[in-house]
Amino acid sequence: MQNNDINQQDQEILELLKDYPMPAADAGFYDQALVRATHEGSRRQRNRWLLTGFGAAIAATLAVWVVGGMLLTTPQLPDESAAIPGVTIALEEARTVNLVFASATALESATLTVTLPDGIELSGFPGQREITWETSLNEGKNLLPLTLVAVQPVGGELLARLEHDERNRTFRLRVDVT
Amino acid sequence: MSNAEQNLAFERLVRPHFDRLYRLAWRLTGAKAEAEDLFQELLIKAFGKLDDLVQIKEPGSWLCRVMYNLFIDERRRFARRRLHTVEEGQLAGEGLQGLPGPDSPARNHERHEQLSQLAKALSQLSDEHRAVVLLHDTEGYKLSEIEELTGTPVGTVKSRLHRARSRLREILAANGTIS
Repeated sequence: MQNNDINQQDQEILELLKDYPMPAADAGFYDQALVRATHEGSRRQRNRWLLTGFGAAIAATLAVWVVGGMLLTTPQLPDESAAIPGVTIALEEARTVNLVFASATALESATLTVTLPDGIELSGFPGQREITWETSLNEGKNLLPLTLVAVQPVGGELLARLEHDERNRTFRLRVDVT
Repeated sequence: MSNAEQNLAFERLVRPHFDRLYRLAWRLTGAKAEAEDLFQELLIKAFGKLDDLVQIKEPGSWLCRVMYNLFIDERRRFARRRLHTVEEGQLAGEGLQGLPGPDSPARNHERHEQLSQLAKALSQLSDEHRAVVLLHDTEGYKLSEIEELTGTPVGTVKSRLHRARSRLREILAANGTIS
């Protein structure tokens, strides 16, 4: 290719890059982020102290009950999404984990995809690493119980991806197997 | 210092840099939800370092560096998540949704299509290459500023910029977006 052609193409790319759009933050996002940072930052500081004093067993127990949440309607953010939660399950033992999806509005025809880590199966879906289904969400918190079974002594990250109207959020859960 | 005083001190330090940080988060991640998560995680981390933050002369630059490192760490730790991000970036309109306004150059359909193709092409670059080209060519950062932000020698920054542009040229020429 001639240098002139390359220069012309570079110029076109530069012009495109200069026009590459950048949206402003939603109204109220900064304020909410600030409130959440001071709240969550304080909580983490307290948790660090607790874990130092009482050991990781406490965290493991709490993680079973509060595994996280998410909002499709940004800018509001849930309380538990900042840290990656985790659960520990025993080999060959079924364990129900409750995922909480918090939505500011009711959502029809959302698509939920659960991707499982190696060695973990979803009860009723033997051998499947990825399960997708259509669902609806109510305004507020929506509980999704997932019964997990560890079929091999390995674990990893479980991903729960919720999509609606070209928007999506991915929720992560660490699964350890003992 | 009481909690209220601590919160106020934190806000005074970080709020002046919010627009700059949000722009950086958007350029790094290329997606609204991820940009907001990154912005949020930075603030949480910065709040935990308040004692250090009050001592820093240029908190804005410090916050940008921490954000960049958070972004890179996150991508390295959760490579599987990155694969999802690439798929999202390849969805038509992702990252451009709702952006064209009445005064936007993207109002023109052809221009909007070109920008959509650019978004897809950018999503095919590595995180480091995409960040360099967007920071330099879109945001107007100097090479030395990118060096400071990323902790990468300026020679490497130049090399990444060159490769990123070459890759964009390949992709956009192949699909007819540029002549």
